[in-house]
Amino acid sequence: MKNLIKFELRKILTKRFTIISIAAVLLLSFVLSFATFHNMYAFDGKSNEGSGRTAVEIDKSIAEKYEGVLTNEKIQQIMADFKPTHDLHGMNAQYLYQNAMQSAAFARFSDMNGNWNGSSISDVFGDEEIKIGYVNGWLNTSQNIARVLIALSFVIILMIAPVFSGEYSGVDNIILTSKYGKTKCTTAKIIASILSALLVTILTVAFHLMLAFVLYGTEGLDCSILFAPQEFVEGYIPFNITCGTVLKYQLILALSSAISVTGITLILSALCKSQMVTFAVSCAIYVMPIMLPIPETSPLYRIIVLMPLYHSQYISIISVEQMKNSMLYAIWAIPTAIILITFGMVISRRIFTKHQVS
Amino acid sequence: MELRTNELTKKYGSKTAIDHLNVTLSNGVYGLLGANGAGKTTLMRLLCDIQTPTSGKITLDGKDILGLGEKYRALLGYLPQHFGYYPDFTAMDFIMYVAALKGLGEKQAKNKAAELLEAVDLTKESHHKIKTFSGGMKQRLGIAQAMLNNPHILILDEPTAGLDPKERVRFRNLISAFSKERIVILSTHIVSDVEFIAEEIIMMKSGRVLQFGKPQEITAEIDGYVWECTVPSNRAEQYTETLNISNLRNTENNNTVLRVIADCQPMGNAKQVPPTLEDLYLFYFKGVSKE
Repeated sequence: MKNLIKFELRKILTKRFTIISIAAVLLLSFVLSFATFHNMYAFDGKSNEGSGRTAVEIDKSIAEKYEGVLTNEKIQQIMADFKPTHDLHGMNAQYLYQNAMQSAAFARFSDMNGNWNGSSISDVFGDEEIKIGYVNGWLNTSQNIARVLIALSFVIILMIAPVFSGEYSGVDNIILTSKYGKTKCTTAKIIASILSALLVTILTVAFHLMLAFVLYGTEGLDCSILFAPQEFVEGYIPFNITCGTVLKYQLILALSSAISVTGITLILSALCKSQMVTFAVSCAIYVMPIMLPIPETSPLYRIIVLMPLYHSQYISIISVEQMKNSMLYAIWAIPTAIILITFGMVISRRIFTKHQVS
Repeated sequence: MELRTNELTKKYGSKTAIDHLNVTLSNGVYGLLGANGAGKTTLMRLLCDIQTPTSGKITLDGKDILGLGEKYRALLGYLPQHFGYYPDFTAMDFIMYVAALKGLGEKQAKNKAAELLEAVDLTKESHHKIKTFSGGMKQRLGIAQAMLNNPHILILDEPTAGLDPKERVRFRNLISAFSKERIVILSTHIVSDVEFIAEEIIMMKSGRVLQFGKPQEITAEIDGYVWECTVPSNRAEQYTETLNISNLRNTENNNTVLRVIADCQPMGNAKQVPPTLEDLYLFYFKGVSKE
């Protein structure tokens, strides 16, 4: 069995298309991470300003000054330290960006002119204890991972599509007449598919995290995502969880997405005699949920967000109302992935072993 | 060991590929002969359990092969007519993969792979990618993979297609040496291959068995139907249009010797000659009937 799994892994991972697509995903990750890093801007409110490494250093030094639990005093202090000194020409100060900490404060506690809007922490965040610090690097990394995971899902489909359908071009004769062709071989194919999907997902996420460590360091993992710059205010996760928790959920969701996509693709691979058809139909099924006109308020939305596309687009599924035990709804992605892969295993195995060679 | 088909039938929609076939095969080499569409490949696929019969069954020593599953497939070696492969695998990789599918241990697989690649003259090319192979080399690789597990039932669909004469002789010798205490079934359009190797001939037409027996027994069926006559070469073409000619050989003096299959003397100088398997094949598949 071990030997068969090794062969199946080799068949999946050494295809030229697979290697090129994995390299392309890693390149995309690299470009996105560096573009984000390069485009970062920060001004310390006095004389220092810059982009890239300088911006990260300015943001970190400002975050260090205010780090800890967010208090109304700290809000007042930030508002005073970064109060606009020049005419905004009609621009809403909530959207003013000098640095990550200032943006986080102004987005929630400023009026149009940059004065305190009268809200207290409890008005904005309720009774939650908000731990603040340098979160900008991790939140940007998290969003970049989500972007890349869509491309990665297509790569996984591309890798898995030929697992069964590729055999229908002539090797099925030999496989299905061999001793283990209808038993261990199909199991090896399924195991190798899952392992390959998990491997490329872990590789991609690990690559992003490694870049994040290099570019931003480890600061901020234990800080709340709620006190983040303006770009993370609207449409972002509304719960008081740390950056570390978001990344943990995101890793789980990336893996559940990979497993779910593998389950769906395996069924289609066994069903379709053409790899291209398998690829096209699997991709269509993958992106279909986002095209369904289902509003977030609909009960159906809770089911739709369990589809693999939303696993990789973590914000939607993590943002669904928490469960009674205060766990995130996103945890349901795990049983969903288990159900999809179980269906994938049982159905693809059944179709392949019953396949009539022609 | 006895492989038997009982009222075996396979239909594709309204077309019957195998029609209530009853044959019993015990150890020996069987040559399957028939025109395109006779049902040879379908029969082989049914025997390999990669197609399901519409009705009837196949038994091995009295047990339905569908129920035997892995035990049956462990005894099986198969070379399909259209042999698929992984272009980026080397010959050795492919053989080792098939060995894993057949449940051979790694050491046993390596030894057997080396032995068989030597037998099919692919040792030098064993580490070359299959996509660089010629048609004949791929066919030889296919033969090697079919024999990896020392199968008790070896089924070869058009094994000599693409092989040059030297390779065909090598193949015949390989099968002859291998076939003791085994059931070997091979189909081919090259009647001479079957004539050399097969102990028994199964001649099929429209999914049914026309003839089944030893070559000399079944060719005896057309004793008195094969003639040889000499005609002027410039009239030979005219005869090919009106007579069932199995062979045509030019001689000196602008004459041609025709080998004719006919139920009565085709011309005055025609002499009866002993029939061959090729004559029998043409007798059945060129539309001449004994009646």
